[in-house]
Amino acid sequence: MKSLELKNIVKRYKTHTVLDNLSLTVAEGERLVLFGSSGAGKTVLLRMIAGVIEPDEGAILIGGQDMRDVEAEDRGIGMAFQNFALFPHMSAYDNIASPLTVGKSSTSSIADGVGKVARLLKIDHVLSHHPKALSNGQKQRTALARALAGSPPLLLLDDPLRNVDAKLRFEMRLELPRLLAAQGATVVYVTQDYKEAMALGDRIAVMANGTIRQIGTPEVIYNAPADIEIARLFGDPTINLLDVTPKSGPDGIYVELSDVQIPLPGMPVSVVGKPCVLGLRPEAVTFTTVPGSIPVTVEAETPLNEKTVTLVLTARKREILVSRPAGTPGPASGAATIAVDGSAAFLFDKTTGARIESMAEYRTNGEAA
Amino acid sequence: MSESALQIKAVDKFYGPVDYGVHAVRNLTMDIKKGEIIALLGSSGCGKTSTLRMIAGFEPVSRGTIALKGRPVQMLAPVRRNVAMAFEGYSLYPPLTVRENMAFALKAAKLPQSVVDEKVAYIAKLLEIEDILGRYPSSISGGQQQRASLGRALIRDADLHLLDEPMGQLEPQLRAVLRGRIKHYIKERGLTAILVTHDQTEANALADRIAVMEGGVLQQFDTPQEIKERPANLFTGTFVGEPPMNIFEAALSASAETIRFLLKDGVALTYGAHEFSQEVRDTLRNRTQVVVGIRPYAVRRDDNGVKARVSVNQWLGDQTHIAADFAGATIVLVEHDRTHLQPGETIGLKLDPSSLHVFDTQTGAAISHGRALA
Amino acid sequence: MESTSLLERILRGVALVLVVVFFMFPILWIVLMSFQTNETILSVPPSVIFSPTLENYQALITGKLTTAAGTLDIAFMRNLGNSVFLSTASVLIALLLGVPAAYAFARHKFRGSEDIAFTLLSFRFAPPLLVLLPLSLYFQKLGLSDTYFGLIWVYQLICLPLILWIVRGYFEDISADVEYAYRIAGHSWFATFRKIALPLAGPGIAAAGLLAFIFAWNNFVFALVLASADKQPVTVGALAFVTASGIQYGQIAAAIVLSIAPVLALAIYAQRYLVEGLSLGAVKG
Repeated sequence: MKSLELKNIVKRYKTHTVLDNLSLTVAEGERLVLFGSSGAGKTVLLRMIAGVIEPDEGAILIGGQDMRDVEAEDRGIGMAFQNFALFPHMSAYDNIASPLTVGKSSTSSIADGVGKVARLLKIDHVLSHHPKALSNGQKQRTALARALAGSPPLLLLDDPLRNVDAKLRFEMRLELPRLLAAQGATVVYVTQDYKEAMALGDRIAVMANGTIRQIGTPEVIYNAPADIEIARLFGDPTINLLDVTPKSGPDGIYVELSDVQIPLPGMPVSVVGKPCVLGLRPEAVTFTTVPGSIPVTVEAETPLNEKTVTLVLTARKREILVSRPAGTPGPASGAATIAVDGSAAFLFDKTTGARIESMAEYRTNGEAA
Repeated sequence: MSESALQIKAVDKFYGPVDYGVHAVRNLTMDIKKGEIIALLGSSGCGKTSTLRMIAGFEPVSRGTIALKGRPVQMLAPVRRNVAMAFEGYSLYPPLTVRENMAFALKAAKLPQSVVDEKVAYIAKLLEIEDILGRYPSSISGGQQQRASLGRALIRDADLHLLDEPMGQLEPQLRAVLRGRIKHYIKERGLTAILVTHDQTEANALADRIAVMEGGVLQQFDTPQEIKERPANLFTGTFVGEPPMNIFEAALSASAETIRFLLKDGVALTYGAHEFSQEVRDTLRNRTQVVVGIRPYAVRRDDNGVKARVSVNQWLGDQTHIAADFAGATIVLVEHDRTHLQPGETIGLKLDPSSLHVFDTQTGAAISHGRALA
Repeated sequence: MESTSLLERILRGVALVLVVVFFMFPILWIVLMSFQTNETILSVPPSVIFSPTLENYQALITGKLTTAAGTLDIAFMRNLGNSVFLSTASVLIALLLGVPAAYAFARHKFRGSEDIAFTLLSFRFAPPLLVLLPLSLYFQKLGLSDTYFGLIWVYQLICLPLILWIVRGYFEDISADVEYAYRIAGHSWFATFRKIALPLAGPGIAAAGLLAFIFAWNNFVFALVLASADKQPVTVGALAFVTASGIQYGQIAAAIVLSIAPVLALAIYAQRYLVEGLSLGAVKG
């Protein structure tokens, strides 16, 4: 395994800046997920690390060595592509063997290498097939096997599960950690699926417009998103966003929803009177019968796998999504009341979109700095 | 509500000569009531799109009858069936703006301008396309085109709304709320809708009843709840539900007191015979080999239960997916809290008999669900 | 429903027959003519029933043309040989130069690359006659006129742009990721070109080569002006049949049959390969 360091990378296409002074460090053996919507620059960045696109400015260091004059074939990288990029005129075996045929490897050692990785990915029975005779899932596994075959110290996976159906994607998501751990490589994994990002990343780098907006463990990204956009990208159903203006009361800061006060413990006094957006994860909202809760009408109930998602409307016609584990009781229609867990809510600055830190966070971060 | 909106009776669809061509839909019979939302669910090539096209009138029926509101329509041109459709490829009229696209059918129906404007504004707000009403289809994103196409179908006052993969390209952040709004809209107006989808999540979220199709054959036509709890066969059981149902082949040994499923690697699931009804016991006694299935959310952790070795523990924010090596395969659990299990750790699992599905090894047909016969 | 599809099938069949007759009739007629004497050809009304003769072919192969005015020597077989040699050599050279160039144009966009590619294509736009006069003067000065080398060089004007543009399109259709994947696996760019790009663009290269061959084969003007009798291809050689005592339709027909035969054979052979190649289809991943 090798570390990876990107220093102030800039890439422009004509007038459009794809990567804007991006820096990133991936430790040896770390699994870093690059997450972002399409057009965020993830794919360009990955190709740059691989050495098939050159940065306009900045340096790429692999294992501490500057890659400026190192060709793609000499960087010791394994890469899997979103569209698989299998060689259509070669059998699955030859596809997987391609990283092993460099230099003077003996036929038997190549066969051993291919056999090992093919068994690991459960495709040893289709090695003689050409890509067009493979199912989508087998193509994807072949592409992955090819990336792993050379035991590269640095593995780049460009949204490898995007083009397979939900079931295969799920299966692979569970299989990948063990597979990657067995390789012992440093991994950069690109995805647009927040579940993959959270499930597979030691850390997640959220990219937008050619820069990294936030980088941290899945826990940090989910529980302390830097801004509204990141909060919206993580979680299904999406976070509820409600315009509020915090007020100050005897028990601290609170906001009002349908005239019900929701205390926001630990929020700084500076937010009082400031236009803000309250971010409520659907699982932080619950149906309740406790008096003094927020009255709502149920618009529709839409089951979501192991959850039940309910769209409700407050008296002021604000939409709120409520999520609860499937099978737990809740109203399917008509009037209901909901309770909001203020301690699990986020408060964002309406003008900048940035999340407002609680005082406790502010203190810890301050000490750290 | 009991008025029939659509009746499909013994319909076959052949591409090529009848009885010799490709048999895309086999002897399909469905009865859909007014006000229902129905999902035709299946993977590509299962016959769902052929069915939809026959209902819409784009494809002739090879055999059988299709009746809309009790009136046979298979000889009727699409335009005379009073059916609204949202196409998978959107099919927006390129020279018209989003607003004109949505208003098109209303204007053709000679509705007064004020009514048209009102309806367009309402649907546009619902689908969050107010800001792109003046744009042309070529200048908006795929997700926006899909919403416009959906709006063009929903805005109409048709007897039947056909929605072909209506939400596949929607921005993930909008999906949950739009599902809620659309379901509410359809229900509030008492519209009848059939959506065709390969995404079981979509079908479960929106439909009152789901028709699961495979190989041109209707596998099961039931409420989402029923399909989840009582899948008709192995296909339905594993196709519907995410994460998919855990399934294991098992050898069966039943005595007067116990029923024991012997899985691979010497894992045994032993239950008291009283956990199953008399009929189930009688049926199982005649079998030696079955397939057992249990849904991930029904697998509980129990230190006294059967042992499994954790391979991954994936926290997704509001739930945790755990995979463990079990009986020579992988068993998946879903927990709604965050767990911190380490790979390699041994855990005990309880596979409650009330959540156990038993299937026939050969045909895949369900034998029992919990204590009751299938 | 059944009846409409039957009617539809009949109508479609009729239409197909009409199209085939329209396109194939001239060729059929030529083949028939090649087995007739000049007299039967010119008889009015023309007749499909005649006693076939091989004397046209015999005359071509032996090189002795018997006309009403006497016996003439013709170099048809030599012309045919010239055609084969000139076309083959031109296409081979054009492939050797054009394929790498096409790859470069497809994969490396640099300032002005589009202009250079277009300039090369524009050689196809200019009428050959426009450049013939200066060209023949140059050729005389350089000692290139009436040499195979000179002709092959000029034929590059025909072959090179064609190959360049067709093959470039095929290279562009190959997903760059497929090539990246091979390079990242540890192979040099040249190995990638040989092992990935070339095989995947194979059908395109074959199609372009075939097309270039046909164009070279059919060329008339360059060879007419720049070469003398012993270096001329069939297209020019066929002029010999316009004799003082009239036009030898039978021999012309036989000459046409002989001269289109190689190209036709090549096209039919390559077609199978082309279709197979095009249906490979997995090029984009």
